[in-house]
Amino acid sequence: MDTWKKVAIGAAAVVVVGGGTRAAGLWGGSSSGSNKNLSFQLPTPIQTLDISKNTDTYSGTIIGNSGSNLMRVDAKGKAKLELAKSVKVSDDGLKYTVVLKNGLKWSDGSKLTAQDFVYSWQRIVDPKTASQYAYLASGVKNADKIAAGKADVDTLGVTAKGNTITFDLERPLPQFEYLLTFSNFMPQKESFVTKEGKKYATTAATSLYSGPYKVEGWNGTNNTFKLIKNDNYWDAKNIKTKQIDVQVVQKPETAVQLYKQGKIDRVSIANTPELYKANKNNKDVTKALEATTAYLQYNQTGKNKFLANAKIREALNLATNRKELTDQVTAGISTPATGLAPQGLAKTDSGEDLAKFVAPGYKFDPKKAATLFQEGLKEVGETKATFTVTSDADSPAAKSTLDYLQGSWEKALPGLKINQKFVPFSQRIKDSQTQNFDIVVSLWGGDYPEGSTYYDIFKTDASNNNGQFKNAAYDAAVNKAESTDALKESARDNDYKVAEAALLKDSNFNPLYFRSGYSLQNPKVTGIILNTTGLNQDWKLAVKK
Amino acid sequence: MWKYILKRLLLLIFTLFLVVTATFFLMQIMPGTPFTNPKLTPEAIAQLKSTYGLDLPLWQQYLNYLIGAAHGDFGISFQYQNQPVSMLIGQRLPISAQLGAQALVVGVIAGLFMGAASARNKNNKIDGTLGIISTLGISIPSFILGIILVYLFGFKWPLFPVSGWGDSFSQTILPTLALAMSPAAITTRFVRSEMIESLSSDYVQLAKAKGLSAKEVVNQHAYRNSMIPVLTLIGPMAAGLLTGSTLIEQIFSIPGIGQQFVLSIPSKDFPVIMGTTIVYSAMLMVMILITDILTAIIDPRVRLQ
Repeated sequence: MDTWKKVAIGAAAVVVVGGGTRAAGLWGGSSSGSNKNLSFQLPTPIQTLDISKNTDTYSGTIIGNSGSNLMRVDAKGKAKLELAKSVKVSDDGLKYTVVLKNGLKWSDGSKLTAQDFVYSWQRIVDPKTASQYAYLASGVKNADKIAAGKADVDTLGVTAKGNTITFDLERPLPQFEYLLTFSNFMPQKESFVTKEGKKYATTAATSLYSGPYKVEGWNGTNNTFKLIKNDNYWDAKNIKTKQIDVQVVQKPETAVQLYKQGKIDRVSIANTPELYKANKNNKDVTKALEATTAYLQYNQTGKNKFLANAKIREALNLATNRKELTDQVTAGISTPATGLAPQGLAKTDSGEDLAKFVAPGYKFDPKKAATLFQEGLKEVGETKATFTVTSDADSPAAKSTLDYLQGSWEKALPGLKINQKFVPFSQRIKDSQTQNFDIVVSLWGGDYPEGSTYYDIFKTDASNNNGQFKNAAYDAAVNKAESTDALKESARDNDYKVAEAALLKDSNFNPLYFRSGYSLQNPKVTGIILNTTGLNQDWKLAVKK
Repeated sequence: MWKYILKRLLLLIFTLFLVVTATFFLMQIMPGTPFTNPKLTPEAIAQLKSTYGLDLPLWQQYLNYLIGAAHGDFGISFQYQNQPVSMLIGQRLPISAQLGAQALVVGVIAGLFMGAASARNKNNKIDGTLGIISTLGISIPSFILGIILVYLFGFKWPLFPVSGWGDSFSQTILPTLALAMSPAAITTRFVRSEMIESLSSDYVQLAKAKGLSAKEVVNQHAYRNSMIPVLTLIGPMAAGLLTGSTLIEQIFSIPGIGQQFVLSIPSKDFPVIMGTTIVYSAMLMVMILITDILTAIIDPRVRLQ
C-alpha cells in the first residue's frame, strides 16, 4: 500500500504548497484589487501593431488607443481636432490644408512632424507594403495609380511643408474628415520603421506610439499585456488612467465568468443567442450598435429568369418578416433592417440617425406578395420556381437564417421551393463575385461613418454589386452625393434617401437585419467611446471610479 | 545501428518532401485567396498577389517554396502582417512544447503509480476504481475535461486562472491536467497489464522462492521490468499531445502553435499552413524514429533492419 501513501502525500503536498503560495500572493494572477487600472478583454489574439498593414478589428483597438491621428471621433460621433490645430477645405472640396499643433512628440520623446504623416500615407499605398487597406486612400491624388504600381510613391497628393500637410484629392470625398481619424493613416516615423525593418510593429518594443497610451509587454504572441499612459501625448493631462490591462480570452463564456468575478471591466454577451439570453437581464447590460447590415442579393444577370423579374423579387421582399426573422435568428440582439445603411452608422445634418432618415419603408405583406408572385410567374411563363439560397457556413446565424427564409417564403408563396446551400466564407465571396448564386446572404460592415461606405456597393458595375443590377435612379443619386453634394451634408442626406427609395422600388436587394451587440460593462467605468466604424472602443478618456 | 539511423533519416527527409508536395497542391484546391475582404477591388487583389508571388505559375511557386524551405525560409504570414513564418512558429512552438512536456511528465508519473497500484491490488476495489478512472481517461476527450476543469476550479472554486499563458505558473495547471489525463490513463493500463504479466512470470516466482519479501519482489523485479516498455509509449504519446493540444489551447487562450494552425486555415494563410504542417509532421516522424530506436535498445529481440 505504500504507493498509495506516496500518492496521497504527494497530492496533499501539492494542495498545501499550492494553496499556501497562492494565499500568500506568490502566483501573480489577474485579481486587480482596489487599484484604478482598467482591465479589458479581447476575443482573439492581436496580430500586429503595424499601422499601415493591420486589417484586424482587435489589433486595431490596440493600435487606435496607442496612436493618434489628425482628428479623433468624439462621443457624439463627430470628427474633432486631435494632432491638428486646424483643418481647412477648399470650396471645391479638392484640397485639405492641415496645420499641426505645436510641440508634438512621439512616445520616445522625439519630435512628431508633418513628414511623419506624409510617410504613413505613402507607406499604405506603396505596393511593396502590400496593405489590404490601401483602397481607403482611393480618391487622394495618384493613390490608385501608385497602389497599382503605375506611379511613384512620391507623386501621392499628400505633401508637407513645415508644420502644414496638404492633401490633394482627385474628387471630393465626403468621408475625408473621417479618414483623418483612421488608425491606418496615423503617423509613422520613417527612420524608426526603417531601423526596425522586418521586426517593425511585431512586438510592443519595436513600435512607436503617438497616442494616449503605450503598449507594454506584448512580445508578438502573448495573450496578456498592458497599455501604459504615454506622458509625451499632447493631451496627457486629460488622461486619468495610468494603466489598462488587456487579456485575450477566447471562450466567450469564460470571459463572462471573469467579468462576474470582477476581473475584467467589459465583456460582449452577443456571441451566441444562448449567452445573450442567459445574461440579458443583468443590470450591467449595455447595447452597442455595429454598423453591419445583413442582406440578400438577387442574381439579376438573367442567369435566373425568375429573379430577373421585378415582381418576383418584390414578392420575396414583401414575404420577408424582418422582425420575426431577427427575433428568431439573433434572439432579438440585432435590429430588423429598414434599408441598406445601418442604424448607428452616421448622423444626418440635423443629428438624426441616417438609417432612420433614409428608410424607404420596407413592408411585410404576405397577401400582396402571393399575388405578385403569381403575376411574376405568369410573366416568365412558369407555374412554379425553385431558388437556391447560399450562405457561408462559418457564421452561427447562417443555418437559422436560411431555415427561417425557406419556411416563411414557401408558406407565403405557393409554387416556390427553396434549397439551402452552405459554403465556406471565402467560397461564398468567390461565388458572389462570379455570380454563381440565385440568392446569397451577404454581410457588409461600414468603413467610416458616412453613407458612401454603403451606397458605393450597388453602383452599376461596382465589384460588390454581385447581383449585377443597373438602377439608373440609384446611380444618379449616389453620384450626385459624391460630387456636387460632397460637401453639402443635408443635400447628401437627401440624395441617399432617393437612392434607398430607388432600391426599394426595383426590389434590387432585400435588407434583413442590422447587427448589434450587447455587452456587460462595469458601472464604475465611464468614458469609453464606442464607434461603429474605425476605432471600435476608444479608451482615451475611460476611467474607473 | 548507425546505418539504420542514417537510412531512417533519409527516409524521413523523403517523407517530408512528400508531405510538403501534397500539402502545397491540396491547398490550391481550397477556394478563394488569402485576400477575402470583399472590399478589395480585383486590381488590388492582383497587386497583392504579385507582391506575394501568388501570380506566378503554380510550378514556379512550388519550386520557389521548396528552395526557400530548404534554406529555412518558410515565407511571410499573410494574417500576421510582416511576421516571418519561422518566427511565428519559433515563438509559439516552445509554448506548446512546454505544455505537452508538462502533461507528459504528469501523465506518465501518475500512470506509473496508478498502474502499479492497480496490478498489485488486482481484482479488488482499488483496481476497479482505477480501472474506471483509466477508462474514463481514455474515452473523455481532453477538451471536454478542459471545460469541466474550468468550471470546477475556475468558477465553482476559483483556485486557478482559466486563461492566458506566461504570466504565472498557475496558468499552466488546468491545461496540463486536462492534457495529462489521456497519457495517464494509457500508462496506467499498460503498466497494469505488464506488471500482472511479470508478477506471474518465472523470475518473480523464483524471487519469491528465494524468500524475498513481497515488497522487494515488486520493487526490485516486477516494477522495474514493467516500467521499461513504457518508454516506447512516450514517443506516440508525445506526438499525440502536440497535435491534441490544439483545442486545449483554444479553451485556455494559450498562444501555442495549435491555435495558430487552426486560425491559419480559414484565413488561407498559406505560408503558415505549410510551415506548421512541416513542423508537425517532422516532429511526428522524429518521435516515431526515437521510439523505434528506443525499442531496439531496450529489447534486443527487436532487430533493426
